[in-house]
Amino acid sequence: MKKYAFNEITVMQYIFLINGAQVGTGVLSLPRILAEKAGTDGWIAIIIGWLCSVSASIFLVKAAAKYPEDTLYEILIRFFGKILGKVLISVYMVYFAFSAWTILVNACLYIKAWFLPKTPEYIVLLLFSIPTFVIARNGLRVLGRYSELSFYMVIWIPLFLLIPLKDGNWLHFLPLLKEGWRPVLSAVPTTVTSFLGFEVAFFFYPFLQKKQHAVLGITIANTLTILFYVFVTFVCYAYFSPDGIIEFNQPVLNLLKLIEFRFLERFDMVLLAVYLIVVSTAWIPYVYLAPFCFSQLLGKQDHSNYVIILLLIIIGMVFWLDPTWNDSEGWQKMVVKGGLGLAFVAPPFLWVYSWIYEKFRRRVSH
Amino acid sequence: MKRKTLLCLSLVAMMMTGCADQMFVEDVSLSLILGLDLDQDDHLLVYMSSPVFNKEAKVKEEKVEVKAVSIRDSRELFDQTVMALTSGSKTQLLLVGKKLLKRKNWIDYIDPFYRDPKNTVTTRVVAVDGPVSDVIFFRPKDKPRLPLYLANLVDTAYRRNVTIKTTLQEFHEQTTEKGITASITEMKKDHKIMLTGTALLDEQSKYKLSITPNENKLLRILQHKTKGDFPFTISVPMESNGHDHWISFSTPSIKTKTRVRYDNHFIFNTDVKMRVIITERLFPFNVRRDAAKLQKSIEKKMQADFERLIKKTQTTGIDPFGFGIYARAYTYPEWKKVQNQWGKAFSKADVNVKVHVTIGGMGTIK
Repeated sequence: MKKYAFNEITVMQYIFLINGAQVGTGVLSLPRILAEKAGTDGWIAIIIGWLCSVSASIFLVKAAAKYPEDTLYEILIRFFGKILGKVLISVYMVYFAFSAWTILVNACLYIKAWFLPKTPEYIVLLLFSIPTFVIARNGLRVLGRYSELSFYMVIWIPLFLLIPLKDGNWLHFLPLLKEGWRPVLSAVPTTVTSFLGFEVAFFFYPFLQKKQHAVLGITIANTLTILFYVFVTFVCYAYFSPDGIIEFNQPVLNLLKLIEFRFLERFDMVLLAVYLIVVSTAWIPYVYLAPFCFSQLLGKQDHSNYVIILLLIIIGMVFWLDPTWNDSEGWQKMVVKGGLGLAFVAPPFLWVYSWIYEKFRRRVSH
Repeated sequence: MKRKTLLCLSLVAMMMTGCADQMFVEDVSLSLILGLDLDQDDHLLVYMSSPVFNKEAKVKEEKVEVKAVSIRDSRELFDQTVMALTSGSKTQLLLVGKKLLKRKNWIDYIDPFYRDPKNTVTTRVVAVDGPVSDVIFFRPKDKPRLPLYLANLVDTAYRRNVTIKTTLQEFHEQTTEKGITASITEMKKDHKIMLTGTALLDEQSKYKLSITPNENKLLRILQHKTKGDFPFTISVPMESNGHDHWISFSTPSIKTKTRVRYDNHFIFNTDVKMRVIITERLFPFNVRRDAAKLQKSIEKKMQADFERLIKKTQTTGIDPFGFGIYARAYTYPEWKKVQNQWGKAFSKADVNVKVHVTIGGMGTIK
């Protein structure tokens, strides 16, 4: 009998869950960060970053596929024993909780800066947490449905980026590789980290209905992300001059600011409000996973109480800390460091380890 | 039941959001025009024009002049006198006096437009020949209120390429991009307001040169921005009797192509292909028979005009056409050496414009 019969997710839900976790507020500043490092060749670095993340994703699925019915918790306990396994899963839990925290804080700062300058941060976060709780207290299937639905709901956003494109100048891209490969390679770490989020697949894999499509699914998720990133970066580079783009913290929002209709100005505000849905699909999996890990650690079935606790802790922390933009950037850097370890180093390591482990065990059982 | 109460509560909450902190339009002074100028002692003067939403006010427009250290500082001073709270979120025009334009680093003053997300960046930047106060305090009887009049004047003139229209965002692009120097609308008030053409700025964004509406059309063509109408009225050289041969034509299609190579100095070859429809002819001529002759003389005249304009800019060391963008795209190694003194390098460059005219039609009479 299947363990998670009531919470199975389809391949589509799996794709959009991963894609949702990857795309957050990072893309708003991505073109500027890439331009600082690699000029207008930054988009090449995204492609290299995509190659890295796809290969790491495939390792991840392969590692998870060794024990298709087990969550990472059970795999880690099987590999490393009860104590070490629990320690490792707590590392994941802390990482997920901290990721949720940084994404929520970052989204809150955007909302505050752009349209709720007088509302205190904790109220904004309180408003975020109500729908978050309603979704994250349920099982994975509800999360998957939410991610899929919100993907369809926001799929029109890129179309609006085409409007400023008519004033773009393709000459900005020439010559390709202005300064050679070195600056491009120096931007790769940034692009690799912008794909972070696929590590959630580790936990979602056992819930997947058709596991034979897992590799395909995670590749499609990564590809959707790269398409969005490359598209946004292209439009920004075509519109902004190579010297001008580095002065804007979030060039994508500056780009949207230019869109004006006779009946509507300041389209950036409208879009940022809608974009919140996209960002929510990034934080909800983390808000779900941290309590999920915790409930597994305690051996409990229901995780919904821990979701409340996590959200309350986050609201309380925001209340006490009053995060600034600089704080938020610092925390993001920490998340990225942790994420690199857990998403890019851990899966190949686990895959190799599982291979050795199997061999070793077979020898013992003989 | 529980669900229904929840639904009602959230509905009420949604409706209530507007009640707590409302902002009446009567309480906002929208600075639709912002003017910057220097007085005799080189102090910054800031002007504002805002609509008044009040039945009792006879004049529906407030105009204020203050002496301030910056735009943001001027807002406090405006608030001391105007009826409501000053807001920069709808600014239509930014008028800059020529005296200020000639000052070094004057663009530092417009920083709040880019920094404060509440401000708009689709504001039109306009240079004023003479004191800004003349324009701001002008109250024409036959026109709507000044901000609407001026905004519409600039927009429609731009459509016929009488002048250029540069929004703050485009202005930012032009000032940060090393391969082009900025060009903005120019306006003058004698007894009425006139658009006198386009003001060209240098790499430090200081005022350098003014060009006429006719030259502005040539500027737009060389910028490869050939949207809108390009009506020309020129006097063509004909070998017969001495007096002028005036001919007018519209240009349904203009195609510009620029190529660049480097041979100790930059050499630009620009081909302008025009298809013209004759709209007016003040001399007898058989177009059916001698079309080639007419084409030739138009070409000759246009080419001379182009060359005169380019010479003019080269002697002042500015490149409003954006030839530098081509230099960067196609001759990057050479461009890199001169990118910080592009104006100087451009003044030494050879620019060859070749005009190809095809007479597409002579009109409905012979």
